[in-house]
Parts: sequence; C-alpha cells; structure tokens
Amino acid sequence: MTEENYISAYQQKKHRKNIFLILSVFILIIIMFMISMSTGFIRLTPMELIRTLFGMGTDKQNIILFDFRLPRIVISILVGMALAVSGSILQGVSRNALADPGILGINSGAGVAVMLFISFFPTTTAAPVFFLPILAFIGAGTTAILIYVLAYKRGEGISPTRLLLTGVAVAAGISAVMIVLTLRLSPENYQFVAVWMAGSIWGSNWSFVLALLPWILILLPIAYSKARVLNTLNLGEIPATGLGLAIEKERLILLAVAVGLAGASVSVSGGIGFIGLIAPHLARQLVGAKHQYLLPTAALVGSLLLITADTIGRWILEPSEVPAGIVVAVIGAPYFLYLLAKSKA
Amino acid sequence: MSVLTVDHIAVGYSNTVIIEELSAAIPEKKITTIIGPNGCGKSTLLKAVARILKTQKGAIFLDGRAIQQVSTKEIAKKLAILPQSAEAPPGLTIFELVSYGRFPHQRGFGTLKKEDLKHIHWAIEVTGLGELRDRPVEALSGGQRQRVWIAMALAQDTEILILDEPTTYLDLAHQLDILLLLKKLNEEEGKTIVMVLHDLNHASRFSHYMIAMKDGEIITEGEPKKVMKSENLKAVFDINAILMTCPFSQNPICLSYQLNKETECLLQTVE
Repeated sequence: MTEENYISAYQQKKHRKNIFLILSVFILIIIMFMISMSTGFIRLTPMELIRTLFGMGTDKQNIILFDFRLPRIVISILVGMALAVSGSILQGVSRNALADPGILGINSGAGVAVMLFISFFPTTTAAPVFFLPILAFIGAGTTAILIYVLAYKRGEGISPTRLLLTGVAVAAGISAVMIVLTLRLSPENYQFVAVWMAGSIWGSNWSFVLALLPWILILLPIAYSKARVLNTLNLGEIPATGLGLAIEKERLILLAVAVGLAGASVSVSGGIGFIGLIAPHLARQLVGAKHQYLLPTAALVGSLLLITADTIGRWILEPSEVPAGIVVAVIGAPYFLYLLAKSKA
Repeated sequence: MSVLTVDHIAVGYSNTVIIEELSAAIPEKKITTIIGPNGCGKSTLLKAVARILKTQKGAIFLDGRAIQQVSTKEIAKKLAILPQSAEAPPGLTIFELVSYGRFPHQRGFGTLKKEDLKHIHWAIEVTGLGELRDRPVEALSGGQRQRVWIAMALAQDTEILILDEPTTYLDLAHQLDILLLLKKLNEEEGKTIVMVLHDLNHASRFSHYMIAMKDGEIITEGEPKKVMKSENLKAVFDINAILMTCPFSQNPICLSYQLNKETECLLQTVE
C-alpha cells in the first residue's frame, strides 16, 4: 500500500456514512418544518400551506404563518443548534459526558435575572418583554463569569472538574435565591416565570430571530473551526499539552463560545435543559467522537429535537401549550435511562 | 552532546516543592532512564521537561532555547510525550487517534495532507498496528493500546520521545516488546528517548544513560555500569542488592535484594 492512499476504504466508507447521516437528519428537519407549520390551534392543510407560502393565502393564514409560526420555528431551529453545539463544546472541554450548558449556571443565572426584574417591576406591560432577553443574557453571562472566577486557581488555571463542581454549587445557591424571590411574586407573575423557566419558545417574533441570528452566525463558525482543538482537548490534559495545544487559551475561547451560544438561546427560549445534554450524545452515537462530524451533527440533531418538541407541545394539549422544555425533558429522561441500562449490560 | 538541558530548576505542585534544585543533561540520540523510589520526583522531573509542570526557578533548554520562551506548538514539533495513563475517547479508531499526532504540523481545519499521511502510515506500520488500524482503540489489549499511543507520538515526528512508565500494567513479554520497539526507534531512527522505569533490570538493559534520584535530587548518573552498583542502590532505594551481569546486554542486573533494615536484623542474629 502506498502512503498517498493510506486513508483506507474503511475510513472512506465511514466518511460517506457520516455525510449520509448528516443529510438524513437535515431532511428530517425539513419534514418536521413542514409539519410544524401546519400544526397549531388553526390547522393548515398542505395545500393551504403551499398557497400561503407562495403569497396566495388569506390575510388570516398569512398572519398565522408569517407572524406567529415561522418566527417560532426558526427560533426553535436556531436555539436547538446553539444549545447542542454549546453542550458538545462543554462535554469536549470537560471530558465529561454529563456536562451541559446548565452547569455553567447559564439557565439559573438567566432565570434569576428575569425573576429579579419581574419581582421589582411587577407590571407585565409591553416594556419588560423586550427587556427580558437582554436581561437574561446579562444574568447568564454574569453567572458564568462568577463560576469561572470561583473555579480559577492561581498557578493551575481552570480544571474542568473544579468548573463542574463550582457550577453545580452556584446553580444550587441561585435556586435558593429564586425560591425566596417567588414569595414576592403575584400569582400571574409567578406563572409567567414558571413557564419561562420550563423553557417555552415564547419570543416568537421576527425581532427575536434577528437578536439571536448574529450570535449564531458568529459563534457557530468559530466553534466549527475549533473542531481539531476539541479533538485534541478530548484526549486529556497531558496528551493535549504534548501535542502543542495552548490549553488555557483554547479552553477560555471555547468556554466563552459555549456561554455565548447558550446565553443567547436562553434569553429567547428560557431554560431548555435537556437539548445541550442529549443532542451531543445522540450525535456521538451516530457519527463518533471526531468533532469535524460531531459538531454539525449535534447542531442538526438539536434543531430537530427542539422543533419536534415545540410542535408536540403545541399539539398535545390543544388549545393550551406545553413548554418545549418540558416535552424535551419527557422524551429525554427515558432516553437517558435507556443509555444507562445499555451501558451496564 | 545534549539537546535537552535542565539548569538549576525548582519544580513542584501548588504548595509543595518536590525538586528544590536540580540540573541534568539528556544525551542526544541515546536512551536515558530515570530511576528512583516512589515520590522521589522522577515523574515530576519528566513532567517539567515536557512543560506540563511549570518550573518555579531555573530553566530547561531545548536546542539551546529556554522552553518557557518557545511556543508550545514549536516544542511539540521537537518533543513528544507519552502519558502514564491516557484514555482515548470512545469510538476512535487507531488510524484516527494516530492522525491526531499530526496536530502541531497542521493548520486550520485539519485535512490530512500527503505529508501527514506519510507519517501516519509509517507510525502505524513501525509499531506493527497495520492490520488493526480500523479497530476502535478501546477494543485493544493493554500492550496494543500502549503501541497506539507510541504511534501517535511517532506521527508527531519529533526528535525526542518522553515516556512515563511505558511498561506499567503490561505482562513480562509485552514489557519487553515495548522496550524493544523503543530500542529499534533509537537505533534506526536516531530518536532521543527519555523515560521513567520502575524495573531496574530493564533500565540497565535498555539504557545508555541512567539517572538515579532520591528526595528530589540526583544521587548518581551515568552509564548503567556506573549507576547499577550495590552502594548506589543502597543509597537510592535503601536495599541490599546482589548484582550480576546480564547475559544479554552485559550490563549489571539485580538478581535479588533485601531491605536494608532486614539485612541489619540478619547480621545482628548472626552475631
């Protein structure tokens, strides 16, 4: 065998299989997109859907599709992507398969910011709704920085284990603060916060799409360009150092990307927990541990999961809605138990 | 000639200093083995040389330049490390793991170029893993796995290889197998090899140069015939060793040994 074609038939087959899998998930997203557009309190038949999409719908159909459903679907896709990539990064950096954006205090940080705001300005007028994403993002970022500073040890830098433990501790502390804060809330405000925390895609409006899009467009390519770095970090600290990786610097960049992605999504979708944990897992089962494949697959799986969960949430208890975060958790928990049972056998 | 010089370094973990002051020179294109009792600082020295631990004082020179002043990627082109216990992420094949060894030579997205494939090919073949290259790493035996990590270090294409106890957890035959591989790499490829070994007889048989350490200091160093003397082993390990000549390498080996205090007891009884 010559050196030039040392990439074996097996490697080429694996590459083709992975590309096929990625395309399959992509097609599933498109199918789900269609289903999601026609699902809701007012159903649209496939014909009505196509007519409306091509600008021949009634005013009512136009409003339902373009002002309510489409922005919401686009947001689910973007948020699913962001959370999944954020989770993949965190799992890669910490070498811990149970890491997810929640451990960086992003969900709880955003939650407490929202709660503080509502408990001090209890009037649910139009103003806070546009304030909330910014506030949630600030809360998420502040908590992430706090955890980073607490986990930092001079001379040794930041160890993934310390980061995870500090994250769990800070999140527990914040939960305690939130319980105290709930006592101040009126029942209506409490309900709003509860639904927000459970992760409903409430920011279903084109301006939220515009607020989220720049983050995704900037941070996803950065994450993807770090695929090779993530592969190396995944080997552990000593091998990564030996291979010439500037560990401290790269870890900081990757953590910042993960926080940015998760913070941006939490700010429009609330605390959707399971996606960041489960999408990387599923993706790893599909395409393996190489981040060149893992990151795009996880992103697509995350989108698919969230768009499906949101659609089910809109449909299952019509006319009321179940937050997508809860649907994800209901699907996610049994899957995790299954994984656990399988790993024991 | 030495490519790697350690100049009056102090090194340790956050609060404990393990090595207070130590200087050494690693000879070029030779096999150097560090020996010493548990906790004597031999792994610490190796980690300092491999820039995993930062030195608190002094400097380490690689090709005449202090490693603190060279970028870590630059160092990775000259010096590869084999960690004591490394675990590959699940699902990775041998080919994939070995290809990660090309990291310091790659840029951007990391598509494997002709040059990369050439080194990966050679590393897999020279370690005898050709048949297994599409297997997942976790499906291999301990000895094979150690070979994969060595192959990854070889794909890195460095002059110097640093290994921390490469034979631990392997049976007798596989230990020898790894050491013979290292010997071959030294003789045929001119690799400079620095390692920590616990087995004195292996150290004596396969090294050109030995460094014996105790309590963070070098007690004695030199070729095996100089280091493997009963008075040195007494000073380093506190043992009374019976030495003889190895029929294979003509270097001294330890036939059997007793703890020093045991011998003293015995002498007292005789008296």
